[in-house]
Amino acid sequence: MHHANHFYGHAHVLAEYCGLDPAKPPRIDGYVQHGWNVVDGLGPGTPYAPGKPIFLWSEQTRRRAWSMGRRQATVIGAPFLYLLEFAAPPVDPVRRGTIWYPFHGWERQDVEGDHRRLIDEIMATEQGPVTFCLYWHEYRNDQVRATYEKAGRVICHGYRGNQWLDTDIRFLHNQLAELRAHERVASNRLSSAIFYGVAAGCRPAVYGDPMQLESEDLSTAERIRRQWPELHGKHPDPAAAGPAALAELGAGYLASPAELRTMFGWAHDRAAAAA
Amino acid sequence: MIRLIGGEMPSWTEDQPAAGGALLRYVVEQLPTDAEVLVAGPHDAALIEALAARGPVTCLVRSQTEANALAATGVDVLCGSLPKLDSERWDAVVALDGVGRLCSVEGPQLDWAESLAVLKRALRPGGTLLLTVENALGVHRLVDPATATAVQDDSAWRPLGEFDDSRPGTPARLTARLADEGLTADWFGAVWPTPAAPTLITTPAALDDGPAGALAALTASALAVAYAEKSVLSDPRRLSSAAVRAGLGAELAAGWLVVAHLAPRTAPVLQLPAVLLGDGPLGERALPEGRLLEELLLEACLSGDLPALRRLLTGWMAALPEATAENIVVDHDTFVALDPNVAAAPDALRRFARTLLTGGYAHPWPAFTELSALTAILHGAAGLPGDYPAVMDGEDPLVPDSRREHEEQLRALRRELADAASRAEFYEKLLTKREKELQKARRQIAAFSDKAGYRFVKLGYGVARKARNRLRKGKK
Repeated sequence: MHHANHFYGHAHVLAEYCGLDPAKPPRIDGYVQHGWNVVDGLGPGTPYAPGKPIFLWSEQTRRRAWSMGRRQATVIGAPFLYLLEFAAPPVDPVRRGTIWYPFHGWERQDVEGDHRRLIDEIMATEQGPVTFCLYWHEYRNDQVRATYEKAGRVICHGYRGNQWLDTDIRFLHNQLAELRAHERVASNRLSSAIFYGVAAGCRPAVYGDPMQLESEDLSTAERIRRQWPELHGKHPDPAAAGPAALAELGAGYLASPAELRTMFGWAHDRAAAAA
Repeated sequence: MIRLIGGEMPSWTEDQPAAGGALLRYVVEQLPTDAEVLVAGPHDAALIEALAARGPVTCLVRSQTEANALAATGVDVLCGSLPKLDSERWDAVVALDGVGRLCSVEGPQLDWAESLAVLKRALRPGGTLLLTVENALGVHRLVDPATATAVQDDSAWRPLGEFDDSRPGTPARLTARLADEGLTADWFGAVWPTPAAPTLITTPAALDDGPAGALAALTASALAVAYAEKSVLSDPRRLSSAAVRAGLGAELAAGWLVVAHLAPRTAPVLQLPAVLLGDGPLGERALPEGRLLEELLLEACLSGDLPALRRLLTGWMAALPEATAENIVVDHDTFVALDPNVAAAPDALRRFARTLLTGGYAHPWPAFTELSALTAILHGAAGLPGDYPAVMDGEDPLVPDSRREHEEQLRALRRELADAASRAEFYEKLLTKREKELQKARRQIAAFSDKAGYRFVKLGYGVARKARNRLRKGKK
């Protein structure tokens, strides 16, 4: 339906969960929320075919989408949770240190802020080794990558893909493996990575200079801090942070493979007819 | 024997069915066998027969044709209008058709209170009155597309409807009006689905003490039978069920059946249980605790509570897969059939999907407006294997034909149509964009497919780009 369905290999993970070939997910007859946001779940400016279903992560997002005029939303939970349903357990169950996700920009917006100062704060806070996970956009920037490499290991989960091209269909698998190797997950902004970390068994933290996107309106970032104080701080209480994070991913709302196949237009006879 | 008392209607036949049915018959059968009984107004033959088998019966009717027919069965008949009822007295007066058909067209037209006074006068001291009172704000009136004040039947020569102020509008006022006449209420029951042919009667105490869920479900099923395919303003099942759960069951019941007596008498002459269903008391059958599955499912759908919805669907399909949602009471994790005698429905899930769609209920899959797709989703949500249920088709049960649902369906269809039109436009734009991209790509392929052409085009592109850049700079 829309190329964002394939971002991060979401469609591929969902296809595998449904018992289909993860390398060739059939076209999803609707829009899968591709990242966490505090609007209607769709990316800004996504061209929407009216009447088509929108598959959202959480009930809270569905309510918000409804209030914004989106009537066709169905909550299915985050694709990452579907991956957890079938992913093999980690080979090495030992967790060490922290995986840190510096707030990232994207193709059309660079992030502004002092990476050096942020790293100092991180190194002063974290007890064990720190793995920095950069978004591909920053990872490809030699200067930024070198700054982080001075402080710890630097990784990138892969390229999320664009227009169905170059999608790293193992993106979420890579991310899950890395998260499972760390005790803590942290970032300077509340994001999907923090929620995924909680789902993968990490203790979360959100602290440090939140940085800023070029010409970014900060009111949303401030709203997020007000709404989820339990997830912010250097050492948030996991008892409060955990459920809040899982709720945003739609834990408990996962659909069965049969439900997904019907909703995505992947039921056997229809998928066969489309092939 | 037939006695014409005056005001009789010689060629008249009642155009509406007489009060009756198995449940009312059960009630009158509880009268003492030796009691002399006046049956006032039209009652069905089986009820009169049951009474006549127990003791002396006199019938009062306004239609002479019907009086003759009754006399032929061997009962005493008084034919005429209520005000002509003389000084005769009975041990019991049965007026389960209410007081609306006691006066003929001739002579005074008594209102409700005046009629009650005449019926009371017909009682011996200590006598018993069995009276049905229609509720002008009962569920049957609230859902009726026709107004009681505009009825065009031949019998509606004085369609006062709710404008008879002497008629009590609540159970409390009814008891008070009876007391004004010196009558003490011994037993009081709210009746469904209609005042004249109840299949469910419960005391207000039973409604208060519960089990409210099962009683709400019983009112809904009573109405479901009576209103199958009938044209209504809104679904009476939901209305009565919501009323019972909200504590307004008796106030919104179709009517009230009251047993009252005159002094001097201390003990009531007939004992009735708290709940009468079908053809009599519940007997050994206890009402299950809990809520109706259909309502729990709807509640989960409306609140977007998918985990609860999946739990209910899974529990339902595991416990009673062939019972419909409106015939199951759920108490925590226990699923019990409300009426075990209802025929199996292998397409129970599909029926619930249909309820969601035709009822216009908000549910977690709003984009799926086709019955088969929604059924398949419910099937998956219930944890059942396979993509499409083996049993997808079935006879749709007859349900109330509600105007409100028509409105809702119209709105839904308009929206779907508007969405489809915008979608066509969306695809059209996308197609145009892709066509342009394709044309460009084809031109490039054609141009680059020979060497000389490639160089020429490359040169051309370079010149064009420079010209464009110069233009842009100039604009700045």
